[in-house]
Amino acid sequence: MLEDPSYNSVVRWSADGDSFVVLENEKFTKTILPKHFKHSNFASFVRQLNKYDFHKVRHNEESGDTPYGRDAWEFRHPEFRADRKDNLDNIRRKAPAPRKPTQAEDAFPATQQIVVLSESLAATQHQIQALQEQYFELAQTNKVLVNEVVSLQKMVRAQSQVSNELITHLNNIEDRRRNSRHSNHSSHSSHSGQAFHPSTMGLLPDGADEPAPELRRAREILNGVSPDSQADRDLERLSVAYHQNGSPSDSATSSVMFTQPGAPPPMPLVHDPINDPRHMVYPVGQTTGIDPFHSDHIHNIPYSRPLSNPNIMTEAPSQSSPPAKEQFVSLWGSKKPRILLVEDDKTCARIGSKFLSNVDCSVETARNGLEAVDKINHESDRFDLIFMDIIMPHLDGVSATAMIRMVAPRIPIIAMTSNIRQEDIQTYFQYGMNDVLAKPFTRDGMVRILKKHLSYMLKDPQPIGLGADDTNQTAGAPGPGPPHSAGGYGGPGPAGVAMAALAGGGQVKFEQTPIQSPATTSSWHSPSQMPHTSPTIDSSGYMSAQIGSGPGGIVLTPGGTQRPPYANQVVPQVGTPTLGRMPDGVGLGDDRPEKRQRLYGPSQGQYVQ
Amino acid sequence: MSYTYDRDDEDSFTMANFRDHVDRATFDQILEMDEDGEHDFSEPLVFNFFDQAEETFGKMDEALARKDLDTLSQLGHFLKGSSATLGFIKIRDSCQVIQQYGHGQTVDGLSEPNEAVCLGKIKEAIKTLKTDMVDLEKAIKTFFDDAK
Repeated sequence: MLEDPSYNSVVRWSADGDSFVVLENEKFTKTILPKHFKHSNFASFVRQLNKYDFHKVRHNEESGDTPYGRDAWEFRHPEFRADRKDNLDNIRRKAPAPRKPTQAEDAFPATQQIVVLSESLAATQHQIQALQEQYFELAQTNKVLVNEVVSLQKMVRAQSQVSNELITHLNNIEDRRRNSRHSNHSSHSSHSGQAFHPSTMGLLPDGADEPAPELRRAREILNGVSPDSQADRDLERLSVAYHQNGSPSDSATSSVMFTQPGAPPPMPLVHDPINDPRHMVYPVGQTTGIDPFHSDHIHNIPYSRPLSNPNIMTEAPSQSSPPAKEQFVSLWGSKKPRILLVEDDKTCARIGSKFLSNVDCSVETARNGLEAVDKINHESDRFDLIFMDIIMPHLDGVSATAMIRMVAPRIPIIAMTSNIRQEDIQTYFQYGMNDVLAKPFTRDGMVRILKKHLSYMLKDPQPIGLGADDTNQTAGAPGPGPPHSAGGYGGPGPAGVAMAALAGGGQVKFEQTPIQSPATTSSWHSPSQMPHTSPTIDSSGYMSAQIGSGPGGIVLTPGGTQRPPYANQVVPQVGTPTLGRMPDGVGLGDDRPEKRQRLYGPSQGQYVQ
Repeated sequence: MSYTYDRDDEDSFTMANFRDHVDRATFDQILEMDEDGEHDFSEPLVFNFFDQAEETFGKMDEALARKDLDTLSQLGHFLKGSSATLGFIKIRDSCQVIQQYGHGQTVDGLSEPNEAVCLGKIKEAIKTLKTDMVDLEKAIKTFFDDAK
């Protein structure tokens, strides 16, 4: 190669023949290296040369007397000579270890090695330092988190106290309301009958400017704790989780109270079904003194009657009565729901699949959480609803849900479990599940869930829903909370009607399902409504409640990583129709600020939207 | 669907068993899934369950020999799910006992820290479970045979 004249201008023997010169670094790299060596990198070529004990010939660069030009590299090896090819065999790869003591030159690499080592040591130290900093940061964060949890726990305690107070107060109102029912009945009977009564009733206690000591106390307690929950935005998720414990009754209150001012005579029919589901669902949603409320809402069944009024909802009967049992032509509209049944037990899976296919759903099964996640990952919008066992091998249902939520935030996921203790159920909701189907499940239980969460796919409601179709999709699908709260906030308008009907239908069915004790039912709902209501609690000032709390809630909710989409979807949808009713709320709020801050906060927030 | 339960003494004994063992409302739900009066869904389902139970019993015995409470609890839970779904209430109850004591808890959810007590209760429950299963299987067989 060195003798090849065509390379002469690039690389050749030096004049003495005891070294070779690379004249043009770049050309050498591009044209010669690839042909003769495995690599085409000049630096590694030089490294290799060094390993074979070639050394670069140093020229006195200061004097500028490099014989081959500034860019030339001259290499020399004692045995490498143009005239001594027989010596080539003596050119061997250095064996570094044995040479070290003999060659003085090796002392230099050794010190270099030390330098390198100390450099890498320094680097490692840096790394360790960085890690320590990170660790410290994490420890700090953790501390903050723990503090937050503690303060949230305090708040939860305070809130359940508040809930107690509110419920007591509401019970009083409720009593009064019932006492006055008959008189109201006659005065307002011109407005299409029963549907209107509850709302009219509602006006009564609210209009009566009574001091509400319980409510005031409740507000004081809340004001005392609320700043803590806002302290750290990063903890939204945690706080969201913790809010769940406290807020339901508050929202119950607001929903119930809302009925009262919100019943404008022009829209009695619409309005009532809207409030109705909330009234029925939420009040039962707490651990505290719920029972009286529950019985109340049983007694108030007339509330839901508007649903069976053919003028409003033709689908209501089909939802509230259990026709499913007898004949099943087809429950669904143009598209059959596709259900994923995640269940490790073969028998249960077969029965579940059979029940589902029997009501005209197409069913796929997964034997554990991992399979389910795989299926969803593979095609995230393949299924319309998931029934998810909790205790399964490989991956449990709650973890699977959390994972599925990352790719499919909206699909309703129903926990199937025999653990229907409230703590368990709260956990399920926290991780993004939408509802619970108690085990052993029944066909009717499954149908109820399907109708509730896939109401937008039902054959019947669609002709009525019309404009509300979209709303149904978003409000109906995500779970029990959103549709109800949507219904509660929703104003007069087709969307509101449809949502209310859906929610109402679901509600009625709850009454009929024997497996679910009312208490359990209620608790299922509590977490999901939380995102909408908890912000109100946070806002301490009355003004901020009026303006800021609602949007604040919207900000907060996405923080609850599991369920952001609901808030995002439901809130805007609801906001628009609500506008029509703004004057009511505002007017009342002006009259009774202390109540309004507590009770209308969420609704106000929606208006602002 | 009407079945005569008292064709002879043995049958009526079996059917009494059936009534004790099976929650009719739940079981009928399964039967309703059958088409054309054939038990082409329910019958294989139930007999699969018996196979599954047999298999689970084997595992339970092994776990019991190892004093492996965790596994016992899991197995109890597992069999409880399917038996409950089929309406086999006696089986379900025994499974519940196994699941609970496997967790170191009484059936009422109170803590039972004494492992020996737990194992004793589980042993007892497994024994009951097995005899119950024999009775149930017999009753179910009669039930399906009668239906044919």
